[in-house]
Amino acid sequence: MSVKTPIETRTMRLPAWAVGLTVFALLVGGVYFATNLAGDSPPFAIPGASGPAPGPSGGADPAVGEALIAQAAPPCTSCHGPDLAGQADFPSLHGVAEGPKSENLQDLAAANPDTWIHLWIDGTTPDTADLDRGGMPMFGEQFTPEQIDSIVAYLETLP
Amino acid sequence: MTVNPKVNPKKLRPYDTPPKRRRSLIPGAPDSAATGFMAAAGLWFALAAGLGVLAIALRIGEFKINFPLGLFELAFQLDERRVSAAFVNATVYGWLTNAGFAAIAFMAPRLTGRRLVGEPGMNIGLAIWNLSLLGGLAALYVFDLGPNQPLTAMPWLMTGGLAFAALIVTGSILATIGPALRTAYVSLWFAGIALLGLVGILGLIATVGLVDWFFHFDELPLALFSAFVERAIPTLWLLGMAYATLHYVVPRAAGQPLASGGLAILTLLAWLAFAPLAPLATLTDPSIPFFIVTLGSVATMLLLLPAALTAANLTGTMRGRWSVLLGPGPAAAAFVAIAFLLASSLLAGIRSLTDVAAFVGGTEWDNGFFIWTMYGAFTLAALALAQHAFARTLKRAWSPTLLSAAAMWLVFIGATVAGVALMGGGIAEGAFRAQGAAPADIDAGILGYRAVGFAAFGLVAVGALAHLADMFLLYTSARPVEYAVAGAPAVAASH
Repeated sequence: MSVKTPIETRTMRLPAWAVGLTVFALLVGGVYFATNLAGDSPPFAIPGASGPAPGPSGGADPAVGEALIAQAAPPCTSCHGPDLAGQADFPSLHGVAEGPKSENLQDLAAANPDTWIHLWIDGTTPDTADLDRGGMPMFGEQFTPEQIDSIVAYLETLP
Repeated sequence: MTVNPKVNPKKLRPYDTPPKRRRSLIPGAPDSAATGFMAAAGLWFALAAGLGVLAIALRIGEFKINFPLGLFELAFQLDERRVSAAFVNATVYGWLTNAGFAAIAFMAPRLTGRRLVGEPGMNIGLAIWNLSLLGGLAALYVFDLGPNQPLTAMPWLMTGGLAFAALIVTGSILATIGPALRTAYVSLWFAGIALLGLVGILGLIATVGLVDWFFHFDELPLALFSAFVERAIPTLWLLGMAYATLHYVVPRAAGQPLASGGLAILTLLAWLAFAPLAPLATLTDPSIPFFIVTLGSVATMLLLLPAALTAANLTGTMRGRWSVLLGPGPAAAAFVAIAFLLASSLLAGIRSLTDVAAFVGGTEWDNGFFIWTMYGAFTLAALALAQHAFARTLKRAWSPTLLSAAAMWLVFIGATVAGVALMGGGIAEGAFRAQGAAPADIDAGILGYRAVGFAAFGLVAVGALAHLADMFLLYTSARPVEYAVAGAPAVAASH
């Protein structure tokens, strides 16, 4: 195998339509670029996280959250009691805005003071992967981050 | 056989017999690297397709298997994310990259008229590449994937092995084609630049992984880098190799010269201008200036241009030889690949629009698009070259068989239907998401799309097995022949 075996080309000329098509494509691309220089990108969805980074529940609706608590499977009241004031080994959810009652969650709250309730309820993010959930379901598999924000907003209304 | 009557054979001692010819531990015969890479690619093709079927199945009915390994708190975990990562890596680094290395190892000597420089080195590269990849895939099931996309999820040591192997291959190829580069056929330019792109990206991944090992980057920059690379490898490496392959196979399959050398060079320049910029479109985060994302979107849209120019040029090359497309040969596979290339370039352009990206980003759309690009465009281009080249490297007579027809049609039908089903599922998923539906409801809503995708991708897996069996039977059963390598113009298009 020592002999050059080129592929021949019929012609080296560039067809006029190809030049026209290229110029047209560049013009269209240039116009699109010039008219889209500014805008808002959504937060990058990091793989392994359940969705956009959860934020404080400022924009969420407590009324929606109250309804979702009843719709959850299982409902929050089945473990935390009919009025969410705690029963058996399950802690009260009243006053969660002041911080977690469980020792298990102190580190999580210290590292994420604004979002620890959201992260704990969600349960699917790496932040809570090493925590003993003690039977608490991962509600991130049932609810969107916005819905969990509403649940948190409702819990924060409990005295 | 003549016998010397003066020699009594019974009195011959071992040192009287001629020494046996020793075979080198590392093969270095002409075309040994191309044959090795092609065989490895075939095996990875079957494995990757099987993993793809499993990945879709795990999205239909999710389950996790966790085997504690007892050492260093490691655990073997079989979940959807890990299986999907293995599927993507086996497809990109296993099947398509081995096929790409095989293609360039096959084309370079034939287009330059020179023997491949460092063929034994290429074979060492083949071993390092595939062993690193096997180690990397095993590691995917053990270590935490972090914020990485699949192609950057392997530990840095394994990616370093891949980068080293790619460097060996690149060195060998550049040493072969370098002296003839000024007048080289366009396929060598595509392949050479694509190889350099691959080495650069792999080196970057390994370096970032190594630095992260010691200093731990924040999740966001690591995730953005990972997303950039996830798009850069297909646009720079796989797309470049697809163009190189198609510009090589079609004139030979048609037995006619390339329609326009000028058009091929314009295609090369267009790809070279837009491919490095297109991955910028993935950097959608408030921390990245918006015009950079727009630049990436525009480049992604403009990648339709080289696809269209290639389609026109190679269609012109086939003029008067359309009957070649009717059989299951390299030409038919190449033209199906061109059709997929056009369609997937168009879809990538649409997907890069800001509103569309927000609607279908992170949904099943991306999985369907992956199948269309990898198993439609790139796989069929690789199959075209394999059908053309494998018989030549093994010096066997190739003729269309039921298995070669089955491989092409099953991959074509399977990839088409699976891609459409999953992209349709992605649109439905986007609609559910916009309504604020719960994840469980979304999963239930797109179950049908996933089921169709699962069944259709099963056909791709069967097609991969048919390709493997076809290669095996070609090696074991086909009639040995010698292929002419003379450089006369009359036979130039027959290699």
